[in-house]
Amino acid sequence: MSGGLPRDPEARDLLAGEYVLGTLDARQAAAVESAMATDPILAEAVATWVRRLAPLTRLAPPEAPPPDLWDRIAARLPGASPAALPPTRLSWLWRGWAIGASLAAVVFAAIAFLPRAEQPAYVTVLVSDRAAPAWIAQADREGGIILAAVRPAFGEPQPITPEGRVMQLWALRPGDPGPTSLALLPRTPGRIRIPAPALRPVNNMLIEISLEPEGGSPTGRPTGPILFYGRLIEAPPN
Amino acid sequence: MTHEADLAELLASVATGDRGAMKAVYARQSTRLFGIAMAILRDRSAAADALQEAFLKVWQRAGQFDPARGSAAAWLGQIVRNAALDAARARGREVLTDDPALGDGAIGATALDDLASAQDGARLRECLARLDAQPRQGILLAFVHGLSHPEVAERLGTPLGTVKSWIRRGLLTLRECLS
Repeated sequence: MSGGLPRDPEARDLLAGEYVLGTLDARQAAAVESAMATDPILAEAVATWVRRLAPLTRLAPPEAPPPDLWDRIAARLPGASPAALPPTRLSWLWRGWAIGASLAAVVFAAIAFLPRAEQPAYVTVLVSDRAAPAWIAQADREGGIILAAVRPAFGEPQPITPEGRVMQLWALRPGDPGPTSLALLPRTPGRIRIPAPALRPVNNMLIEISLEPEGGSPTGRPTGPILFYGRLIEAPPN
Repeated sequence: MTHEADLAELLASVATGDRGAMKAVYARQSTRLFGIAMAILRDRSAAADALQEAFLKVWQRAGQFDPARGSAAAWLGQIVRNAALDAARARGREVLTDDPALGDGAIGATALDDLASAQDGARLRECLARLDAQPRQGILLAFVHGLSHPEVAERLGTPLGTVKSWIRRGLLTLRECLS
């Protein structure tokens, strides 16, 4: 029943501690897990070690997960309706596209009004988690990024920052391990230009805005909810 | 306190198949839990996959959560750590142990002060302070960043056998101190 595990209670308790600590290899960890199913003493020892060491999880800086992760999880719960639930992590991109013609019109209208010399290299519309367009983001050919709040006629009311918080702009290039902060947004959004962002825009770069404590995220990663997000695509030619 | 009680009640509802309760657990805990997975995997895509696996386990096992044995937050944290550790083991824990960002948070000078902000953390902090600096760092690197024995040994520039005995003795000291 305890295949490969020590019989001595003291050694088994220490093994439970190492299991919770995470230092056992895959084979040993699997042996502890299967033994726990039939050995209440070992299961209790593991639960006790979890209780002892749990405060250490506070040393991991909180970080907001990707905005589409809940949809991915919900799609895999039993009883999920396949039509309503997108199967892949890129799903929000397609949902973004599916917002419809009015959204496309926002983008093309925005581009059309720009002088020809300023035609952007990349564009996207940042949407809320309800897929409502809130910002147009453009990367110009010099690498600068322009963010313009969508007029209420097209989307939701102007994004409002709660008192004591700040909206922070992030970018994540494909393959990068985590997002990079580009700017803290002013409280009254209109049109903002970031002349030389920390990351040079590339095709398919994720742009997101999170809500952070005053002064910006203390960890260098988004810690608050992701309010808006979109992925840069090459601008359509004039 | 009420927050923890709410979380335990939500898990009880999840155990009955309540998707709304599941979404509420996610809304409250996902930022904390994603941070835990990121500290181990340091890759948003891998951490997201681990968090997804973990939440599917939460859905299946919510009925096994027993408030008498520990807090709901600790139970969730352990499920996420296990999912992230499984992913780290599957990729051979190819963590760059010379990554300058690695562990600076967990083993830095202020890390233990961060712990002390809650009652249970304060007690654990006192007990950790009884360990020598290097065994303490080894335990923190293993728990927070999911480093294996050989990785801790490499990171601390210490022979593998020494690290193994540091960690075992450290766990025994903590057990005694926390009892």
